[in-house]
Amino acid sequence: MDPALSTDVPTGRAVAYIFDGLTRFTPDAKVVPGLAKSWDVSPDGITYTFHLRSGVKFHDGSLFAAKNIVSTFQRVLDPKTKGGRGWPLYPIKGAEDFAAGKGQTITGLAAPNDTTVVITLKEPFAIFPKLLAMPVTSIVPNNPSADLGQKPIGTGPWKFVEWRHDDFLRFAKNPDYFDGPPKTDSLMARIIPEMSTATAEFEAGNVDILSVPDEAGKSWEADPEKKKLLTSAPALRFWYVAINVTRGPLSDVRVRQALNYAVDVSTILSAVMAGRGSVAAGVVPPTLGGADPSRKGYSHDVAKAKQLLAAAGHPNGIDVELWAATTDQSPRLSQAIQANLAEAGIRAKIVQRDASSVREAARKGASDLYVKEWWADYPDAENFLFPLLYSKNKGPGGNVSFYSNPKFDALIDQAHREQDESKRNALYTQADQLEFNDAPIVYLFFYKDVYAVQPWIHGFTVPAVFSGQRWTDVTISK
Amino acid sequence: MFAFIVRRLLLAIPTLFGVLVVVFLLLYVAPGDPVQEMVGERADPETIARLRKELHLDEPLLKQFTLYTGGVLRGDFGNSYITQRPIIRDIRERFPKTLLLAGSAMLLASVLGITIGVLSSRHPGGWFDRLGLGVAYLGISFPVYWVGLILILVFAVMLRWLPPSGYGGIKYLILPAFALGSRSIAFLARITRSAMLDVLGGDFVRTARAKGLRERAVVIRHALRNALIPIITVLGLDFGYYLTGSILTETIFSWPGLGRYVVNAITRRDLPAIQGSVLFLSVIFVLVNLLTDLAYAKADPRVAYS
Repeated sequence: MDPALSTDVPTGRAVAYIFDGLTRFTPDAKVVPGLAKSWDVSPDGITYTFHLRSGVKFHDGSLFAAKNIVSTFQRVLDPKTKGGRGWPLYPIKGAEDFAAGKGQTITGLAAPNDTTVVITLKEPFAIFPKLLAMPVTSIVPNNPSADLGQKPIGTGPWKFVEWRHDDFLRFAKNPDYFDGPPKTDSLMARIIPEMSTATAEFEAGNVDILSVPDEAGKSWEADPEKKKLLTSAPALRFWYVAINVTRGPLSDVRVRQALNYAVDVSTILSAVMAGRGSVAAGVVPPTLGGADPSRKGYSHDVAKAKQLLAAAGHPNGIDVELWAATTDQSPRLSQAIQANLAEAGIRAKIVQRDASSVREAARKGASDLYVKEWWADYPDAENFLFPLLYSKNKGPGGNVSFYSNPKFDALIDQAHREQDESKRNALYTQADQLEFNDAPIVYLFFYKDVYAVQPWIHGFTVPAVFSGQRWTDVTISK
Repeated sequence: MFAFIVRRLLLAIPTLFGVLVVVFLLLYVAPGDPVQEMVGERADPETIARLRKELHLDEPLLKQFTLYTGGVLRGDFGNSYITQRPIIRDIRERFPKTLLLAGSAMLLASVLGITIGVLSSRHPGGWFDRLGLGVAYLGISFPVYWVGLILILVFAVMLRWLPPSGYGGIKYLILPAFALGSRSIAFLARITRSAMLDVLGGDFVRTARAKGLRERAVVIRHALRNALIPIITVLGLDFGYYLTGSILTETIFSWPGLGRYVVNAITRRDLPAIQGSVLFLSVIFVLVNLLTDLAYAKADPRVAYS
């Protein structure tokens, strides 16, 4: 639970309970002030001045001040931390050099007094405050002990009490929390790897809130008693098939469009995913600015797919490898996709490996097609368009389609600099349309999170970003 | 006896070294990249290259191996790539829980398995024998995973007698121990029965009965004692099964033991954690084999080690 080392979703959740960043997410994915009560941006979009809250205390009693921001960001970027997740801070001037071991300080980061932090960026980056709400940029005390990951100390609404590894995490309310203490006294996160067991714990009444596994979704929806307990919301999670545009016939846009026409997404969504989600047309989720609700997705049209393949010079179809991990819904999705593709004459061989192996192969460019899911780190269209499709992010950066389109890149660059939100969203829409036509992806669906909530729990809302639910408004009547 | 133990322990060293080499090579050739697991879904090539260098993953295989082995010889199993915690601390924290689960399963299996086996052998072909045979077949055939889920469904969700999962007092232990031990109960019952049938036909049993001993004494003191050798063999072999079976059982019942630790380490390619745990489990395995051999001598005075 060391913010600087948090790369996965469960860690990020726990970090968000204990720590605060300069900004934070609400469950419905708004960015609101955190440790900074407000901020100003210079007209050129380069300099951010954050005005900090005063009198905020860490759980160990020490006083939070601007210098904590400086030391925290240095710690995240410091090669000695061995974190490797400094990219949210890279927009800051000198941050990348510092991370590479060049330079004693981060040149673009200064704390002129206890309640002010001035951040100078390399170039304008209008959504920068959103990145400061990510778990990795959470503020830690000065000179934290080497054991911070085991005994975390933050300023957040919950104080860390106990971590029984692979069993549970326990937190107690921070009565002094600057935004008002949580409404319950304690919070416990059970760590249950087997979803059937987690479901059993909920049914036995031992667990108050459960993220309902896909497998259980259908039978719960069908049971009127259980259906009453379900609550859901669109998540910023995108299921898609990355098409490696550099490999063989896949470099032809007609072949990639044929793949999209061949896959019957709405049937797969209802049959495999219990209808949890909405069919995607582009990579920007409908809940975010920049999404174009009028855009129609590729329909399920086998004849059209065959026609496009023939036009591309493959009247007898093509052979591709479809890579999928052994976890989550990947195996079932890949089988359904394989069957759909076969109807259009696309012979897909499924290559199923553990998640780590598949990821490594895809990042090296060794996969043709790769069924995968993307979880947003922050609620912005940029968090989909940029990592998944920007040319510099090919491979480990997230662009496993190896898509490269200078026009697309230029639109994203322009959006990065654009300070006006509606203009920025218009640029996102254009970029999304552009890549949608190029089809470097088989657009599947945006996932919908479903939670089961016991009748005695009130005030829970499903968060759009995983770190957006901090349980401060939840109450219990039992 | 003492010389025997020392010799066996010395012989364990090349075995463990072999384990070290095999695990190291396997992880080296296995696909998947630990650094990419550390940095998460979005990373830049520079960071990846830097971390690879810091962890010596860019060194030649032999160099990496000597670095690691050197650490192990000094008692340093390295730190987890993911949490940066010393592996030895992780193992120390989790192994007692796995041992508790495996030990309870073993105890349960021996008591139930041997009892069923002995009772079955008393009247071969009788109703208890046939019932025991049926149950044993079921026990051997059902996979741990399935047994575990059914136990949770029946005893935790429907009857609400026991908690479905987690770690705590004895009530948390019952279901996982039973799930883990179920196969062994069946196995032991079969072995005990056939060993007892062999022995019960022996002359010394007739002698024992002839000199007027009570049936109980005949069966337990004379027959069972002589039937123990195959039973001990099975128990010793099964211990390895308990350690591997605990991986599944611990996952189903959210038991925070070493089995789950290894699984997590494998999925995240946490190399030091995998190597350390496998090596540690190998040590345990070697020790259990030694104990099994010593138990032979205890059970059968004709077996003597020098």
